[in-house]
Amino acid sequence: MSADGPHRFKAATAGRALLAVAVTALFLFPVYWLFVMSIKTPEEVFASPPVWWPAEISLENFAVLFRDGDVRAIWNSAIVAGVSTVIAMFLGTIAAYSIARYRTGGDHLAIWIISQRMIPPIAIVFPIFLAFALIGLNDTYLGLIALYTAFNLPYVIWMMRGYVEDVPLELEESALVDGLDRWQTLLKVVFPMMRTGLFATSVFTFIFAWNEFIFALILTRTEVITFPVQVSHYFGPQQIFWAKIGAMSVLGTLPVFFTVAMAQKLLVRGISMGAVKG
Amino acid sequence: MSAVAEAPTPPQPASPIAGFVDRNFRWLLVWPSILVLLLIGLFPVIYSLFVSFQKINRRVSDTSFQGFYNYERLVTDERFWDSVINTGIMTGIALPLELVLGLLLARLFLESFPGRQILIALIVTPSVIAPFVAGAMWRLMFENIFGPINEIIRWIVGGTFDLLWLINDNPLIVYSAILTTEVWQWTPFMFLILLAAWSNVDKSQLEAAEIDGASGWRVFRRIIFPAIRPVVFVALTIRGLDLVRLFDIVYALTRGGPGNMTETISIYAYIKGFERFDISMTAAFAFVVIVSLSILVMVVLRRVGVTQ
Amino acid sequence: MDRRQLIKSASAFAVAGAMLTLPGLAHAQSAADAAVEAAKKYSGETLNITWEAGLQALDPLNFSGPKWEELTGVKINVVEIPISELFTKTVAEHRAGTGAYDLLNVVPAWMPDLVTAGVLEPLDSYVDQFGYRDELQDIAPTYRDNQMTYGGKIYGLPDDGDVLILYYRTDLFGDDAHQSAFKDKYGYDLAPPADWDQFYDISQYFSEAMGPDGYGSALIHSPGLVHYLYLQRFRTDGGKLFDGDMNAQVNGEIGVGVLEDMVRQLDNMPKGAASWGPIEVLNAWLAGELAMQIWWPPPGRWSAGYGADVEALSWLPKSTIAGKVGYALPPGGYPELAAGFALSVAANSEKKELAYLFAQWLNSKDISIQRVTLPYALRDPFRTSHFESEEYKALWPAAGDYLQTLQEGAETGLLDMSIIDTFAYEESLTRAIVSALAGGNAKEALDQAAGEWNDLTEEIGVDDQRAAYEDWSSKPGAYPN
Repeated sequence: MSADGPHRFKAATAGRALLAVAVTALFLFPVYWLFVMSIKTPEEVFASPPVWWPAEISLENFAVLFRDGDVRAIWNSAIVAGVSTVIAMFLGTIAAYSIARYRTGGDHLAIWIISQRMIPPIAIVFPIFLAFALIGLNDTYLGLIALYTAFNLPYVIWMMRGYVEDVPLELEESALVDGLDRWQTLLKVVFPMMRTGLFATSVFTFIFAWNEFIFALILTRTEVITFPVQVSHYFGPQQIFWAKIGAMSVLGTLPVFFTVAMAQKLLVRGISMGAVKG
Repeated sequence: MSAVAEAPTPPQPASPIAGFVDRNFRWLLVWPSILVLLLIGLFPVIYSLFVSFQKINRRVSDTSFQGFYNYERLVTDERFWDSVINTGIMTGIALPLELVLGLLLARLFLESFPGRQILIALIVTPSVIAPFVAGAMWRLMFENIFGPINEIIRWIVGGTFDLLWLINDNPLIVYSAILTTEVWQWTPFMFLILLAAWSNVDKSQLEAAEIDGASGWRVFRRIIFPAIRPVVFVALTIRGLDLVRLFDIVYALTRGGPGNMTETISIYAYIKGFERFDISMTAAFAFVVIVSLSILVMVVLRRVGVTQ
Repeated sequence: MDRRQLIKSASAFAVAGAMLTLPGLAHAQSAADAAVEAAKKYSGETLNITWEAGLQALDPLNFSGPKWEELTGVKINVVEIPISELFTKTVAEHRAGTGAYDLLNVVPAWMPDLVTAGVLEPLDSYVDQFGYRDELQDIAPTYRDNQMTYGGKIYGLPDDGDVLILYYRTDLFGDDAHQSAFKDKYGYDLAPPADWDQFYDISQYFSEAMGPDGYGSALIHSPGLVHYLYLQRFRTDGGKLFDGDMNAQVNGEIGVGVLEDMVRQLDNMPKGAASWGPIEVLNAWLAGELAMQIWWPPPGRWSAGYGADVEALSWLPKSTIAGKVGYALPPGGYPELAAGFALSVAANSEKKELAYLFAQWLNSKDISIQRVTLPYALRDPFRTSHFESEEYKALWPAAGDYLQTLQEGAETGLLDMSIIDTFAYEESLTRAIVSALAGGNAKEALDQAAGEWNDLTEEIGVDDQRAAYEDWSSKPGAYPN
């Protein structure tokens, strides 16, 4: 028994590793498929049986996106998601601080805020469209940024509340004793203590805004079309431009992929809305 | 001075003046957020409520009070109930499936093996891809002639196979395509949360159970599941609420078709509002959805609050 | 080498076209020149114009937009919108009163809905002011008489000769062995089918003759488009959509007969063709797997290889059937016009006159001929002068036949159903067709659709809908004559 114990253990581990690799491959296959679509030639795109790996890597599909200016959508997404993240993080974090430290508004406020997050976009987008039209915010950076800020605020507040609670109270007390005022304490003592939380939360805030579709579909025309909406333009009733869909999706997914890879350790808490401290 | 120093300890400020400062400061911090949320969150609800009692559509702008006319039309509209049922079916199947698959995956990745961290990082990819892109991706996977899924089935059955997955008259086929996409995208999300929760389960209890010779299933049911239940509950809530407003992947895959076979609540609201411009009825629709979801969320959140 | 010749003649043609627009060539000022002259005072302004995203939009992006700017100093900002969102965006911006769009690409069937919603500006006074009446007469009668007006006023300049025509393989139909074998079996000569029974025979014959990878035919059956096929056949067989009391008639004997025959035709089509869309049909056609199919005009050019070297068409599977394609009207001889586009001015634009001028210029004889011959364009010939253009006929060997078929189609073409809330009626009809194609009972499905139509009519208001229906059915192309 004791002799083949480690052996069996090793075999079991190897088996598990193999299975895990297989499952991971299964989950990644569609991503792979869209990726190879982006480097295929037109013949290979429509080949049947499908081409599993192109004979040579063609960057033509990406080149077209740059030539025609379609990549502007990536830039738009970056601005809209980036700026709205910064604003939502700032407004949300100070609100979270107040709610966590002072119980401002009590449970009611906290629950009301998070319930705002659950409203289906489709239920509010029409009135917003009309209101934005009235004040000229449709198809502007400002409009989408304002909307995404609001859309993400509940998440930021909810998440940062947890991180604020993790900051030891004594630190703030001693800062106040040292003569810093409340704002200084917040910005110079509390914020730096929550670096990880701020980073993790902004990663998710950014991704939500980056990937958002309905609001962008309805509230943009030409100027601030974001990348998912751009992808939707490649579907027509008489033609589907698969190569462009592939290339644009790759461009739009890479930034998110790398951000997440960087934030690996912080993923769990962010994705579970704080339910798991990870 | 001493009053200020004590201030961070929340509720009872030592002097009335400090209390005033406190109150101002703390409200100063939350007001910007509340204001933004009121503007974007509350305005549409009030607007919808107003318009839902009028008769405004593409051709008519009758702002006189119409009573519950639009609500009556909504509840007698078969297509509305179809969309509720379709959404219910998708949620009812996807949610448990994602949970079970997530648990199985978590079990697989629970103990360490070489390369585990990298695989976990990779397997999460689907959940961070834009849902619309995920839909586009699977539309390509399910393409009847040059899509890989039919090709793989061709290998297995040998011979021709060009099933149209997305414009099929058989709901089983279209639904399985949509659910595959949905489950593919969000199982990794479930998995990640469950894995973290499972890893945190008290080891000593597990060892004690092992010594007692309890079976794996018994250990899971008696010790592990109770320990991770609150987390499961939160994960199901997050996913459940996302599923109820499912839009992007259905829009990319079938746009609710064929017919209205796969029309979700959000897709139908979109069609009613933005294709038909039946504005008053869509407002009633939106209002009903917002109110029922808000109630649901409040109830759920209070429970989460308690379990935490 | 065939292809090279094509390209050569195409570029020679483009030069000729460019010369046509040189000022001073004609004595009377052409509509194009008149538009340019009048637009010059707006130099420096920008026009926002909606256009279907993708290939369609390459015309204003690469060709007409830059050219107009060069001539007038007016910049063209193309708002690309997928066709599925085009109606939505057009009405939404109107409701919001943004004036975001000046010129609109409108599917003519939407006109009643857009006009009753106040989205479109009547164009009659502009047409007179800028001397466009004469050139409007050159637009083929079907498009001019059917796709231009609502309630007697001009709301759009018909700008696209969409019509569903029959494509067949001349190499197969012309083959002596097939000719005699077919005649032996069916007792008449093999030729493009004159009616749907012949269509069935020919499909059946070629499904057997072409072996396991070939089929006699495939048709577009996907939701959103399949109603065109049904309504074309329904009206060709004498069906009327409504009776005098606006009761739906689609479930009558004629309708049921047509739908049952649509199901029967599936016998000779590829497996799964009951739900094929345009893309599936086109791919199979270009791959040489079909003997016949019915589509819009572009495959006539693509399957001849015209424009095959153009980068914008690189998404298209290469044609294996260049030089082997014949054109005919679909069985019955009354082709569905199936969508198309008209250029309309947005009622809440702040630059209506300028928008109209650009539309007139685009739509004019001189400029439109260049637009319909752009190798990557999707605008199809729609003027008598297009059909008779010698330069166009020289683009590929069978181009003359192609134009002739399009012209015949433009004479007998059937106008798409176009009433209030057309979408809702189409959708309900589509559900019935799809369910029958899937094996359901045709009569029951159509009964259900007719019931839904009657509910819709009641909800809209019988009198309102009657007015819209009468406006539509009074047009020459609504029913065969």
